[in-house]
Amino acid sequence: MAIDIQKVDEIVFGYEQSKESLLPILQDFQREFSYVPEEGIKRLSDIFGVPESRIYAMATFYKAFSLVPKGRHTIKVCMGTACHLKGAPFVVEAIERELKIKPGQTTEDRRFSLETVNCVGTCALAPVVVIDEDYYGGSTSENIIKNLKRYT
Amino acid sequence: MEKIKFVIDGKEVEAIRDQCVLDVARQNGIYIPGLCYNPEVKFSGGSCRLCLVEAHQAGRMSLVTACNYPIREGLEIKTDTSLVKRIRKGIIELLLARVPDSDVIKELAAEAGIDEPRFVKDEGENYHSKCIACGLCIQVCEEVVGVSAIAMLNRGPDKTPGTPYKKPSEVCIGCGACAYACPTDAIPMEDNGDTRKIWGREFKMHLCSVCGKPYIPEAQIDWIVKTTGKDRVFFDKCPDCR
Ligand code: SF4
Ligand code: FES
Repeated sequence: MAIDIQKVDEIVFGYEQSKESLLPILQDFQREFSYVPEEGIKRLSDIFGVPESRIYAMATFYKAFSLVPKGRHTIKVCMGTACHLKGAPFVVEAIERELKIKPGQTTEDRRFSLETVNCVGTCALAPVVVIDEDYYGGSTSENIIKNLKRYT
Repeated sequence: MEKIKFVIDGKEVEAIRDQCVLDVARQNGIYIPGLCYNPEVKFSGGSCRLCLVEAHQAGRMSLVTACNYPIREGLEIKTDTSLVKRIRKGIIELLLARVPDSDVIKELAAEAGIDEPRFVKDEGENYHSKCIACGLCIQVCEEVVGVSAIAMLNRGPDKTPGTPYKKPSEVCIGCGACAYACPTDAIPMEDNGDTRKIWGREFKMHLCSVCGKPYIPEAQIDWIVKTTGKDRVFFDKCPDCR
């Protein structure tokens, strides 16, 4: 996928040239492109004079960054204690089967990315699935598949 | 530099204030195991945990890593107590589970009387070959060589040194310093006639004009010439023929 280098530059030059800016710049990449693109890391390395390996390592360290493009919608299945006990593993399995991806992966059509998270803080609704900004309480392997259909 | 006296294994020895325990122990012929510390590198040590010793100070005892523990007045170090041995054995066992194929670790395990680790071995996707993720290779590449071709990728059990995107590095000069520095011989480097392969990239080697031996990658000569201004002619002959 081609990345708009102008957009990259806009982000990079918006910050002071210091090591402290690296992390917020990567966050902006993630927000803008839905992942941290290789071209972005290269460009940032050139401009800041920080080794590419160092920036790449940072991007691999934090869970908030993805090095491959994410889907248009992110599914987060809560695996916290309450959700786990109330059947979250079955919900994940159902989604895995339906979308043919594992947690951490993205569907080929880039429609969905699947993640598991540890507690989203709404244990009363367990098991919870969060799709983009929408919370689905009381999820089951049946109703979650229906809910997926709302996202294109 | 302020000289001070301290006690190690019941012996009074002299040291410079803030020198690390491991250096002084080695100078005095006292063996403390340790893989990740290299005095040539500023930021090394503290990760393999093998150099654990008892530090007694002001009536308190703590377990510390000898490679980065500074010597102070009144310090007493014990390197060989039953506590140290027991904890170290646990560490070796964990390392063995991570890198069951490392000869260095296998040897330490045998010495400590461990046949098989009780922990799940890292295999399949988590296979780390022989790497204990100490970071020495990365530090050498950054501090000594100055190119930072590799960095520590991922975290937790997946932590491993590597090049960006696991692709052949554009900045690597093929010097092999990382491979030489690695305490567990975990970095594959293949010298084959006039080529060298390391981190997935192939380097052309320079041949000595006298004995004809391939002895240094061309890219390394380029780098030295560029950074030090040394005359290229210097590299015509290998160190043995100079
Ligand atoms: S490859 Fe060797 S030097 Fe590098 S982190 Fe692994 S064990 Fe340490
Ligand atoms: S040598 Fe001290 S922690 Fe590795």
